[in-house]
Formats: sequence, C-alpha cells, structure tokens
Amino acid sequence: MLHLLPRAVDIAARRFPEREAVRCSGAFLTYAELASRANGLAQVLRYQGLKRGDRVGIFMNKSLDSAVAMHGIMKAGGAYVPLDPFAPTSRVAFMIRDCGIRHLVTTDLKLDQTALLAEATGELSHLIGATNRDGYECLAWDDVRGATAADPPDIELTEQDLAYILYTSGSTGTPKGIVHTHRSGLSFAVWAAETYGLSCEDRISNHAPLHFDLSTFDFFAAAVAAAATVIVPEAISKLPASLSGWIERERISVWYSVPFALMQLLERGGLQDRDLSSLRWVLFAGEVFPTKHLRRVMAALPHARFSNLYGPTETNVCTFYHVPPLPPGLEEAIPIGKPCANVESLIVDGENAPVKPGETGELLIRGGVVMRGYWGRPDLNERGFFRRRVFNDQYEDVFYRTGDLVRLIPDGNLKYLGRKDRQIKTRGYRVELDEVEAALLSFPGVEEAAAFPVPDGQGSCLIEAAVTAKAGSAPTGPAVLNHVSGKLPSYAVPVKVEVLASFPRTSTGKIDRRKLQERAGAGSEGEPKQQVSVIAEGA
Amino acid sequence: MDRKTELMEFVKEELLHGRKSDLRDDEDLLSAGIIDSLGILQLVGFVEKRYGVQVPDEDVVYENFHSIRALADYLGRN
Repeated sequence: MLHLLPRAVDIAARRFPEREAVRCSGAFLTYAELASRANGLAQVLRYQGLKRGDRVGIFMNKSLDSAVAMHGIMKAGGAYVPLDPFAPTSRVAFMIRDCGIRHLVTTDLKLDQTALLAEATGELSHLIGATNRDGYECLAWDDVRGATAADPPDIELTEQDLAYILYTSGSTGTPKGIVHTHRSGLSFAVWAAETYGLSCEDRISNHAPLHFDLSTFDFFAAAVAAAATVIVPEAISKLPASLSGWIERERISVWYSVPFALMQLLERGGLQDRDLSSLRWVLFAGEVFPTKHLRRVMAALPHARFSNLYGPTETNVCTFYHVPPLPPGLEEAIPIGKPCANVESLIVDGENAPVKPGETGELLIRGGVVMRGYWGRPDLNERGFFRRRVFNDQYEDVFYRTGDLVRLIPDGNLKYLGRKDRQIKTRGYRVELDEVEAALLSFPGVEEAAAFPVPDGQGSCLIEAAVTAKAGSAPTGPAVLNHVSGKLPSYAVPVKVEVLASFPRTSTGKIDRRKLQERAGAGSEGEPKQQVSVIAEGA
Repeated sequence: MDRKTELMEFVKEELLHGRKSDLRDDEDLLSAGIIDSLGILQLVGFVEKRYGVQVPDEDVVYENFHSIRALADYLGRN
C-alpha cells in the first residue's frame, strides 16, 4: 500500500530498478540505487538515535545526495526540514532551534559557516556529511554513500506521521514551520501524477529549491510515476539562455516553476533557437501569471499544454486550471480553477457563513492535502483553521483558512482576487510585509517602518521600504539595508530603503502605505528590460 | 577605479548589501547562490548602463557571469 512517501521509491525500484530516478549535473541514480542508498541512510540515522517524528535538517545545495537525504530521513521515521543554504545564518539557526533539529545533513562546504553552529546551539548534535567538527558526532559523505541496505529500518509508521516541514515567512517577524504528513504529501503527489499522466518515460525538471513547496511535485509526483527528476544545476538556474539549452539537452517533458522563471526564459532564453518539443506540460504556480505574458510564453512553446496550480504551502496544491488557448486581447487573469480530487472548497464571509455563488469571500480548504499544522504555534493553529459543526453538531469538519479572496465564476472555476492580509508574492516567493517591517524596526536608529510592494514591470512586484529616524539617530538607507539582509532571505530584502522625515498619515493616524506605494510606483511600469535599468539606476 | 573593482563594489554594496565583505573576484557567484535571479538582472542592467554596451541574451551564461573576474574578462573582450 502506498501510504508513505518513500514507499513510492521502493515500488518504483521493484518495477523499474534500472530507470533513472534523479539526475544532477551529468550524474544519476537509478531507482534501485536511490532506494538502497535511502535505506542505508535511514539505518545510519536510526543507529545515531533518530526517533519517530524527529526533525532532520537538510542544509546543502541540491544534489543526488540531498535527494537520498529526503527519502532516507522519512524512511527512518523522521521529518525532513529543508533549510535554505543561501539564507542568512541567523534565520537558519532560528529554524534549527525552533523545531529542535538534532541531526543535520550537510556538506563540509557549508560548514565553513561555523557561525551557524555557534548560533544554532540548541539540541543539534549530529552532522551527517561533515568531517571532524568538535562537539558533534560527524559522518563523512564517503561513509554515508557507502551505506546501502536492501530494506528500510523496520519501524511502525502511518500515513499520519510527519514527513516534512517547510518554513515560510511569518507575520510576527520570525518564520513559521508548516508541517506536512505522508498523507498530505501523497494526496498531492498521487493526484498530480494522475492528472498530468506522468509515467516512467517522463523527465521532470526540478527548478524550485527544496524549501519551496513546488519541489514536492518534482520529487514525489515523479517517484509515484517512476519518472526521472532532473535537477537544474544551481550554476545555471538563474541564467535563462543556459536554462533553455539545458531543457533541450535534458529532453525535459514536464516543467514546473513560478511564472517569473518562465518570463525570464521568454525574455532572455532565446527560445526561438531551441528545440523544446519534448515539453508536454508546462506547469506554473506561486503567483498570478499575467495573461498578456502567459499568452506569449504559450505561443513560444506550442507543443506544450499549460496548467496553473494553486495552493498555499499549507495545502500543497488545492485547485488547478488547464489553460485553454488565450484569445488575443484577453487581459483578464486566468482563474485558479477547480478543487483537486479529495479537496473541498468553501467560500465564506467575515462571519464564516458561506457567500452566495458569485460573491467574494475567503477561500477555505479541506481534504487530504491540508497540512497537519504549524510547528509549535498553537496560536496560529487556532486562527488558521475553521471548524464547522456538522450532523447535528456531532462532528466537525476542519477547513484551512487560505487568507485568499476568491469568487466562483459562472463556468464553475474559482477566480483569485487578492489577499485578506499583508502577505505578498515577489517572484513567486511568499513574503509577509509585517516580517520585513519587523526586520527594519530591529535596526537601532529606526523609529517607524513601512514595507510595500511596487510593480516590477513583469507582472510581479518588488519590495520597497521607508523608515523614519529615532530622535538623535541618523540611519542611512544602505545601513538599514545591510542590517535587514542579515535577517531576511534575499528575495524579502527591499530593493530600496528611503529615510523620510515623517510618514504620510491616514485620517486615523496610521502610516499611509498606499500613498507611499503610489509615490514609489509612479512611472515604474514599463518594459522588462527598461525596468532593469531603472533598478540599477536607483541602486 | 578599474572595471573589476567597480563590478566588485556594485555586487558587494548593491546586491549583497555588505553581507559578504570578503568576496573574492574569482568566487563563484552562481553555484554558491551568492546572487539570485533578480541580482543577475541588476548586474546586466548595471553593466549595460555603466559601460554603454548591449549584453546579448546568449552571452548571459555561466562562462561570462560566474565570477567578477569572468565578467570583467568578458567585458574586456567585447
């Protein structure tokens, strides 16, 4: 029975042992190799004292080894926690402490960051993939790679066991851990493998980093279908012309990314000179794909079908929309579609009462794909769910509150209309503006701070900020920027911080963020390449 | 200021905001994730504006952009 995520690898290894499972930079593992190495790592972790439900960090660049780590950790009964290898040290250290990570899978390269270990302290005791670090039990990769086993450790696990935790921006100033179980991960992976007709012939790109939920499709839907996951090498993932050549060379059949990456491929990828006819599906998620740009990408890749996947990290993916041909002149955004199998949606007003069809309300989601909850945050777990009493009050149905405003349109699809709160998407990354402001306010000379989105000219947005000085201090924009880049991931760092004498105010005395936004956004809408110059000039 | 120093200043100050003061000119900016996709765009924009050159899309590849030294060499050739 397929009730655990890594079981998908075992099943694939029995049916297609010699098929490619994961490929990265010219090297690959077959399903038989992936299964036996993941079993070996799981045995090692158990030997090191890992218990059911323990959290294990993965702190390294994406590679064959990190794919082994994901499955090996889950086979050992642990939950893997992907830590952004490029995030500021203090942020990664927070996550290690927050969910009590004792085992960290890493590489010596990353352990140059001794500062991380000093800051993480907490319960961290085992370093897998590291050599000779005083105070820690270490095991070198050569030994880990040599450890293979025919079977995973014999332990009791159910579909409700923890599988992975993804950290995302939190409005109180620190990131929050979204806990998924084997059930919620598999609910999505099995649905995706069926819906996109994945098979062992498919070659699925992995563009997203492991801490970004898009990666669960790339690895788990692929494993369910015994398809190959082809990891985009870090060195070329930001270079559109290299990336389009890579898609051609690797004969990628299913591409999945945020719209921004596709926009980059279109603008600078030289698609007209490539043979990308191997692409049969182009999937995108993370933010709204402006119709005028999407139409151009579709025209440039005529062999592929396009599908929009929607869902906060808390629900994996919960609705989807296969994009039909887009008539010229259509400007309206495409819908987010209909609920996936095993998902129920509800649109409610401010009193949690269902709205009439066609009215706008908050989207609530229930079903197999929904997370177990936030790690160690009873406050968020209370607020984040709506419990509806059913059957004469005897039972309750639990819905996750997405915070997204939607309405049902006449063709039965859901239309996304914006957020209830101050969360934004920048280049597909989810950022709580409150977290950015908390980072700005932690600079000693800053009195008040406001962060706000400005259009980037490519259908997404960038973050700008303004601050005022405390009496007797004179903070400068660059100094504040230096400070916040030590706290926030690079995509959440404002492109500009302005120091103002005073803020514009609303009639109730609050900071008028809309006015700041209008002022900053004036004249910034333009062609993408001009926009680049504007940024460089302002920088 | 020579080109390499200017590029170094731009990357350190405007892209990294002082996060990595010990950046070397042969350090791999891409494999190590030192600059992100927005950073690449900003770097191309800066180069085009500062040196009055057009960087064709097919030149924005690893060979030319992986380090400050590689980028300075590329600009020297073009």
